Amino acid sequence: MVEQILYAALTIAVGVGFAFVYFWGSNWLLDRALSTQGLDGPASARRDTLRTRIRPWLFLFPALFFLTVYLVYPVFETIRLTFYDGGGRNFVGAANWIWALNSPAFVQSLINNALWLIFVPTAATAFGLLVAVLADRLWWGNIAKSLVFMPMAISFVGASVIWKFIYDYRGTGEQIGLLNAIVVAFGGEPQAWITVPFWNNFFLMVILVWIQTGFAMVILSAALRGIPEETIEAARIDGASDVRIFFDIMIPQILPTILVVWTTITIVVLKIFDIVLAMTGGQWNTQVLANLMYDQMFRANHFGRGSLVALVIMIAVLPVMIWNIRQARSEEGTH
Amino acid sequence: MHKTLLAGASALVLSLALAAPASAQAVELPDLSGQSLTVFGPWVGGAEIAAISAVIAEFNEQTGANAEYVGSDSLEQQIVIDAQAGSAPEVTFFPQPGLAANMASQGFLTPLPEGSDQWILDNYAAGQSWVDLGTYADANGEDQLYGFFYNVNLKSLVWYVPDNFEDAGYEVPETMEDLIALSEQIVEDGGTPWCIGLGSEAATGWPATDWVEDLMLRLHAPEVYDQWVSNEIPFNDPRVVEAIEAFGMFAKNDAWVAGGAQAVGTTDFRDSPAGLFQVPPQCYMHRQASFIPAFFPDGTELGVDADFFYFPSYAEKDLGNPVMGGGTLAAITNDSPAAQAFMDYLKLPVAHEIWMSRSGFLTPHQGADLAAYADDTLRAQGEIMLNATTFRFDGSDLMPGAIGAGAFWTGMVDFVGGASAEDVANNIETAWSNL
Amino acid sequence: MATITQSSPVTAEPKAGILSNIKVTPGKAMAHLALLLLVLIWTVPTFGLLISSVRDRDQLAVSGWWTSLTTVQRSFAGVLGTPADQVQEDDQFVIRGNVLGDDSNQVLVGFGTSINNPAEFPAGSSVEMRTGGTITVSEDGSYVWTSPTAFAHNRVRLFYTSQVPPRFTLDNYVEVITAAGIGRAFVNSFTVTVPATIIPILIAAFAAYALAWMRFPGRTLLVALMVGLLVVPLQMSLIPLLRLYNGIATTFGGSAKSYLGIWLAHTAFGLPLAIYLLRNYMAGLPREIMESARMDGASHFQIFVTMVLPLSFPALASFAIFQFLWVWNDLLVAIVFLGQSQNELVLTGQLRALLGSRGDNWEILTAGAFISIVVPLVVFFSLQRYFVRGLLAGSVKGG
Repeated sequence: MVEQILYAALTIAVGVGFAFVYFWGSNWLLDRALSTQGLDGPASARRDTLRTRIRPWLFLFPALFFLTVYLVYPVFETIRLTFYDGGGRNFVGAANWIWALNSPAFVQSLINNALWLIFVPTAATAFGLLVAVLADRLWWGNIAKSLVFMPMAISFVGASVIWKFIYDYRGTGEQIGLLNAIVVAFGGEPQAWITVPFWNNFFLMVILVWIQTGFAMVILSAALRGIPEETIEAARIDGASDVRIFFDIMIPQILPTILVVWTTITIVVLKIFDIVLAMTGGQWNTQVLANLMYDQMFRANHFGRGSLVALVIMIAVLPVMIWNIRQARSEEGTH
Repeated sequence: MHKTLLAGASALVLSLALAAPASAQAVELPDLSGQSLTVFGPWVGGAEIAAISAVIAEFNEQTGANAEYVGSDSLEQQIVIDAQAGSAPEVTFFPQPGLAANMASQGFLTPLPEGSDQWILDNYAAGQSWVDLGTYADANGEDQLYGFFYNVNLKSLVWYVPDNFEDAGYEVPETMEDLIALSEQIVEDGGTPWCIGLGSEAATGWPATDWVEDLMLRLHAPEVYDQWVSNEIPFNDPRVVEAIEAFGMFAKNDAWVAGGAQAVGTTDFRDSPAGLFQVPPQCYMHRQASFIPAFFPDGTELGVDADFFYFPSYAEKDLGNPVMGGGTLAAITNDSPAAQAFMDYLKLPVAHEIWMSRSGFLTPHQGADLAAYADDTLRAQGEIMLNATTFRFDGSDLMPGAIGAGAFWTGMVDFVGGASAEDVANNIETAWSNL
Repeated sequence: MATITQSSPVTAEPKAGILSNIKVTPGKAMAHLALLLLVLIWTVPTFGLLISSVRDRDQLAVSGWWTSLTTVQRSFAGVLGTPADQVQEDDQFVIRGNVLGDDSNQVLVGFGTSINNPAEFPAGSSVEMRTGGTITVSEDGSYVWTSPTAFAHNRVRLFYTSQVPPRFTLDNYVEVITAAGIGRAFVNSFTVTVPATIIPILIAAFAAYALAWMRFPGRTLLVALMVGLLVVPLQMSLIPLLRLYNGIATTFGGSAKSYLGIWLAHTAFGLPLAIYLLRNYMAGLPREIMESARMDGASHFQIFVTMVLPLSFPALASFAIFQFLWVWNDLLVAIVFLGQSQNELVLTGQLRALLGSRGDNWEILTAGAFISIVVPLVVFFSLQRYFVRGLLAGSVKGG
C-alpha cells in the first residue's frame, strides 16, 4: 500500500514536472530556433509571424493529443459501428436507423429528452443563480452554499437511495416516502409518483436539478465575485433597488458565465442515464436517449443500435455548439 | 440460436427414479504451479464471495494454481467490454444463458472438449436439458457445447409464516385450485393473501416475468413453454395471454395484493416480503425464488418463523408438477490449460459440496452428497427439484436480452399499471419481430 | 502584477456580513427567508438519508425516517414460554417471561391474542388464552401465564402494541468501516483521484490560455469542438480504448489495466470541461493587463505563468472540485480500466460489493454514501476559500 501511495506521488511529480518541462522547454526552443536576434526588417517580421503561428499549437498540443486519442477516435469508431450489426461484424447499411425510427422507445426517448433539456438546465441555472446571489449577501451564505453543494458530492447510487425515500409509495398502511407522507398529512391520496404518466419525468428531473444546482451555484458565485463592487455601489447610490441591480447589472455582467453553466448542464442532461436507470430503468415511459444507449449496448448487446443512439446524442448537441461559436465570435468583437 | 437452445429442453424430465449417479470419475487435475487464472462471476456479497473463494481455494490446493475470483454486479456489461477489447477473464459464470449464447455467436467462448456432453448426461439429473442449455451456435453457426450449470436456484416457491397460517387455520395448499381458494378465504377473513413487488431499479419488472413463466408451465404443456421462449409461437399467442391474465388474477386484484394493484409496480422486490412479518400481517404469502430469505427481517429462523411451499399446479390440468429455476453457467471466455483444468474441477462433486455446505446453492450434480446441504430448508428445496416432473429454466433469461431483460419487463410493468394482457403481449411480440 | 494585487483585497464578504447584522430591512428579511427555504428544500432529502443511515434495516422498510425521531406506537408478535418453562406454584402451573425481551425501553400499551387485533386489551389486564390458562401482561412487558392444568402447547404467540422510543444504531457505519478491504479501497480511490485531478488541470490551463488569448486560424472551431467533445458518451469510448490499451500491453509487455491507464483516461475525459470552463474564465480577464504586459515585452509563457494562472485560481479551484468529485464517485471507468479484484477496487466499487449480488444489504448504502461523501466535502471546503478572494474586484471587464 505504501508502495502504491509512493507510486501515485511519483506520478504527480513526474506528470507535473514533465508538463512543465514540455511547456517551458518547447517555448524556449521556439524562441531560440526562431530568434529575431541579429535579424532586421522583413526577415525579423517573418520570424515573428511564424512564431506567433506556431506557439498556440505548442500550448494546445498535449490537450489535443489526449482528446484525439480518447474522444475523437472513439467518435469515428461509433459512427462506423452505426452501420454494423449487433456484434459489430457485418455491414447492415441503414438498418439501425430504420429500427430507431420504428422503435417506440426511441421516439419516447426523444420526446423525454426534449423535456429534460428544457426543464433541467433552466431550473438548475436559475436556482444556482438565486442561491449564489442570496448567499453573497448574507452572513451565513457560506454555510448555505455548502449545504446546497452537498448533493453534488453524493454519488448517483447514494442519490438514488435518497430519492427512493422521497418518492416511495405504499398502497396501504404507513407511507415511508416523504412526499406521500406530506400528501397524506394534508388529506390527499398517496401516489406512486414515478409511475404517474408524463409527470413522472419531472419527478426524475427534480433529482438532477437538485444535484446540478450546486454546480451552477459554484461557477456563478465565482463570476458574481468578479463584478466590480463600485459598479454595484454606484447603482445603489443612484437609488436602484436590489431587484433592479440584479437584472440590470449583475445578469448582463455574468451573462457569458450563465451561458457556460447552461451549456454544461445541457450536456450533463444529454448524457444522463444513472438517475433513470436507478429510479425506473426507463419504465413507465421515462426512457431517455443515454439510458436507451446503455440498454442497447449492455442489455440487448447490440452495438450498432447503441452506437446509433450515441450518435443521436452527439448530433443533439449541435445547436448548443453553434450557439457557443456565435458567443465566442461576438466576444472576439469586443476584445 | 434460441431454437437450438431449447430444442431438446423438452426432454428435461426429472424424477426420483433417476438412474443412480454415475460413479464419480476421477478427473485428473494437472499440476498448474505458478499459473494464474481469473474466475469472473456475478456474486459480490460477502457470504457468496466467501463461498466461491472456498471453492477456488480447493482448486488451488489441488493444482497449485493461483486462481482468483473477481465479482461484479454488472457482469453482463463488464464481460462484453472485456471480451470486445480482448482482455476477458479465463472462466466466467454467466447469470443468463442468453448472454453466453450471444457471446458464443460472436466467437468469444471456447467450446468444452469432446465428451463433455456425455459427462453432463451421466452426472447431471436430467442431463440432456443441461446439455441443451449450454449448447449454442458458434460464429459459424455450428452448435457447440460451451458450458454447464453450476449453482442453480429454484423459483417456484411460495413463502409464508407458519404461525400465521396456524393461527388462522389455513392449510398449505396442494393444488393451484386450493391456492386460489385459500386466497379467497383470506380475503373473506379480512386479510390480504399476497405481497408482490416488481421494483428492482434498472431491472424493474423481472419478478413478474417469473410469475408468468411459472403460470405458463402450470397452464400449458412444457413444449408450449419451449416454443414460447424460442418465439416459435408468437408472444401474443392466446396461451401466453392466458398466463399473463392468470398473473393478473393475483397482481391486479386490489383485494388480493397488499397495497392494491397500484403498489405492485413500485414496491421494491427486496421490501415486499416484509409484509409477511408485520403485525397485523399485510399479506400471508409471497412467491419468490430460493434466495429471498436474505431479505427477511434479521433473526428470522427459516422453518420456524418463515417457511415455503411449492407453488402448486392445477389438479385438473394433469401437467404434473413443473418446476422453474435459474442458475449460472460456467464457460471458458479466455482459453488456457488452467481454464480447462478449472472446468474439469467444477465437474468434481467436491466443488459442489463446498458451496452446498454453506448456503444459497443447489446443484443438479448427482454425485454430490445431499447430506452436504447446510440445512433442511435447502435439502427440502433439493427435494422439490427431485420431485419435479418437469424442470424449465427461467424463460426470460433464455429470451434475447432485448426481450427477456427489456420488453418483457416493461410489458409486465405496463400490465400491472393497467394495460390489458393482449396489448402487452402485442407490444412484446412487435419488439421481438423487430429484433 | 503589482497593480493587480493592490486592487484586489476588496473582499465583499465581511462588508456584507456586517451590514446584514446591523440593519434588518424587509428586503434582507426576505432574502434570509428565501435562502433558508431553498437550503431546507435542498437539505431535507440528504437529512433523510442521514437519519436512515442510523436506523435498523428492518425499520427502514416499514416506517418513514421522520417517525424515528419521535416515540411511535408499533405492533409486534412475541413468542411465549414453552411448557418447559412452567413451574408449579400451589395448585397452579405458571409461565413467566417478558414479551418485550431485552428491549426494555419500550412501553407496552396493549396486547391481544389475535394477530389482527394486537391492542385488544390494555396493559395490565388478564385474558383467557385459546390454548388454555389466563395471561396477565403488564406495561413493562412481563407476563404471568397461569393454568390449573399443566401446559402442553407447542408454540404460542402473543401480539402486543408498544411505544417505541427513538432508537439509533451505528451498525451500518461499523459494518462499512470494518468491512474487509475498505481501507485499501480508500487508498485506491485516492491513488486514482489525485493525479487524475491535477494532470488535466495543468494541460487544460495551457490549452485554455491559447484558446482565449492567442490568435490563430481555427480557434473558434476548436472552442466549438470542446463543447462537442463534452457530449461524447463515455460508454462509447471504453471498448476502443481498452482495445488500444490491450494492444499496447501485448506489444510492450505489462498490463492493460494499470493506474497509468486510468489516470490518462480520466485526464482525457475531464479535459473538455476543463478547457471549456477555463477558457471562458480566462477570456473574461481584463484585456488591459495582458496588453500592458505585452508592451513590457513579456512572452505568452511568462504572462501565462505569472499572471493568468494566479488570476484564474477560482476557476482552477472550481474545476478541481468537479473533476475530483467525478473521479471519486466514478465506478464505470474504474472497473473497466483498473479491474475489479479485491485489491484493485476503488471505494465506490467496494461499496457496491458490500451490497451483495441482489442488493441484500442495501441499507449499507445509507452509511456508505456518507462515508464516501466526507472526502469530496473536505476538498470542497478547502478549495472554497479561493472563490471568495475577489481577485478581480474592480478590474474585470463587462460582458
